[in-house]
Amino acid sequence: MSKVKNWQLGREVEYPYDESRPKRQWAIVFDLNKCIACQTCTLACKTTWTSGKGQEYMFWNNVETKPWGGYPLAWDLRILEKLGRQDWGKNGEYLGKTLVEAAPPTERVLHFAPSDEDWMYPNVGEDDCAGAPVDGGGHVQKLPHDKWMFYLPRTCAHCTYPACLAACPRKAIYKREEDGIVLIDQTRCKGYGECVRACPYKKSMYNPYTRVSEKCVGCYPAVEEGIQPQCVVNCIGKIRVMGFINPPWKARDDNPVDYLVHKKKIALPYYPQLGLEPNIYYIPPVHADPEYLRQMFGPHVDEAIAAYKQLLEDPVAAGLLCLMGSTDRIMHRFEVQKGEAIGYDAAGTELVRVPVTEHVYERAAFDDKLGAVRHNTP
Amino acid sequence: MSHLKLALLLVSNLALAAVPVGCSDKPAKPPPLKELLVKKVTADLSKAEPGAAYWRDAGGGEVTLIAQPMIAPRPEKVTTSSLLVQAVHDGKQVAFRLRWKDPERSEAGRLGEFSDALALEFPLADGPLPPVMMGAPGMPVHLFHWRAQYQRDKEKGKPAVADLYPNMSIDMYPLEFKGAKGGTEAEAEAFSPGRAAGNPQAYSKTGVDEIVAEGFSTSSVMEGHGSQAHGDWKDGEWSLVIVRPLAIEGGSTLKPGQKGNIAFAVWQGGQGEVGSRKSLTMVWTPVSVQ
Repeated sequence: MSKVKNWQLGREVEYPYDESRPKRQWAIVFDLNKCIACQTCTLACKTTWTSGKGQEYMFWNNVETKPWGGYPLAWDLRILEKLGRQDWGKNGEYLGKTLVEAAPPTERVLHFAPSDEDWMYPNVGEDDCAGAPVDGGGHVQKLPHDKWMFYLPRTCAHCTYPACLAACPRKAIYKREEDGIVLIDQTRCKGYGECVRACPYKKSMYNPYTRVSEKCVGCYPAVEEGIQPQCVVNCIGKIRVMGFINPPWKARDDNPVDYLVHKKKIALPYYPQLGLEPNIYYIPPVHADPEYLRQMFGPHVDEAIAAYKQLLEDPVAAGLLCLMGSTDRIMHRFEVQKGEAIGYDAAGTELVRVPVTEHVYERAAFDDKLGAVRHNTP
Repeated sequence: MSHLKLALLLVSNLALAAVPVGCSDKPAKPPPLKELLVKKVTADLSKAEPGAAYWRDAGGGEVTLIAQPMIAPRPEKVTTSSLLVQAVHDGKQVAFRLRWKDPERSEAGRLGEFSDALALEFPLADGPLPPVMMGAPGMPVHLFHWRAQYQRDKEKGKPAVADLYPNMSIDMYPLEFKGAKGGTEAEAEAFSPGRAAGNPQAYSKTGVDEIVAEGFSTSSVMEGHGSQAHGDWKDGEWSLVIVRPLAIEGGSTLKPGQKGNIAFAVWQGGQGEVGSRKSLTMVWTPVSVQ
């Protein structure tokens, strides 16, 4: 067992293989305050990757309602319950055990195995509200709301220390050096299902038709061409941006993902305490229950929400949020100048330029020339 | 317990133990297998037949298995502790009959369902014996891996999704919806990654896979050499025959009048055993070919 550096936990963790960070690490940032669970991402992924036989109930990207929803059923509750106490120290270091550290001697990773039926209700719990009964109405004038729910879009996190990779006895899972995307070798997998058990986020899935397991491929053919994944470019709410994240000791302030995660610290990994260094990051919802958010996003969630509320006063951060969803191509660098946010590709070529504040045009309610009332319906 | 009762219990146990085996209705407990004698028979071994008459006098014995102890994931306790082994040959083919207790027949199919299975292991080449568990780099082993799932493929064809999930609902598959002209086989397979990649697991099996390995995590399916297998499950027991050529060019070879080695592994699919979750023999069993 090796000791590897996990910056999300502020300490070294155990892992079956040595630390070997890729040259670039694929990452997505999601702004959960903007997600409306339209499932366009889910369908963009499904029509691209999982429309074949044995993939009928397979969603590499899904959006679930928190806290009650889960695909597969209660995936989060069941692994958290198994892991036991997950305490954090005063300096943000994790005091509990990770899934690898908590594994019994007979296993490589602490896990639970979802049953077949657990995958059959991909949108269970949709829009179910937590906090209290809503029969008598509720008050949403103050933050956080006393009655709350939020939408959590999820892909594979292409973890730095993937549990699926650790658990595969055939070494059929590998992490690409060029972009950190984690793939199941479709020629070597024999369908033992060890990755399906081991991934706590449940993003390895079994195909009973091909009898091998499959997972989110990070849209690697697009990424190789400098294009963001399908779930990102099809997001109508423009809540996502895909890019490459550096570890904090190599973070660059002009890298969009580094800026949101490391510089502004408004985007956080989910369930970092599981110890895998997942690489999807969430801007937490400002209205949801703080206790729940601390469990999901760790001890820095209150600071992240406070920083998010201040974004309007920060033109650089506001500009970056305007760049999200404004280009299909992968932004390696961005800058904000003269009221415009500009994204660049790896070669430094400009990809997109957007105003940080949209121009506002005011027109009279009645058009004298046409003799018609103006309204906003396109 | 009083001393008297204890004494009576001991006496009664001794009395039971003293009953000659031949007087019991049950077959005699087979001897532990120190060396597997492969008897020469004149029967036709081209078909795998667990009920064939020649097995009656084939000899053989019992080998002890333990839960795979070396690498995780591994079982917490042994599920198949004993395996009855017999072997015969006809000068060209060698047949092994293997019997073990398994309370349920498991053939896999849906997520979380695993198949009953057995593997025979031989050193792939002459020379120093490879480590019994999957060999080592430069010391390959040659495996014959039977699964009940593969046998079902052979007998009934590889199950379609509708066989596994009769109530499953799907609007349409690519290229297969009403009015679609369909596509070439290659175009259809693009929607099934395992098949498109040519993974043998994604195609119909013939009952037994031949596998080569040079250490943990290295096993790969190799080109077969016409091995056959057939298993019958009845009353909580599998009775399986695997037939393979005595000599395999570029593979493990057994020669009449000479010695060899064999090892065994068993999986109980109903207990969730698959891959490294298995029962196995910890030492090579010597083989003597008549």
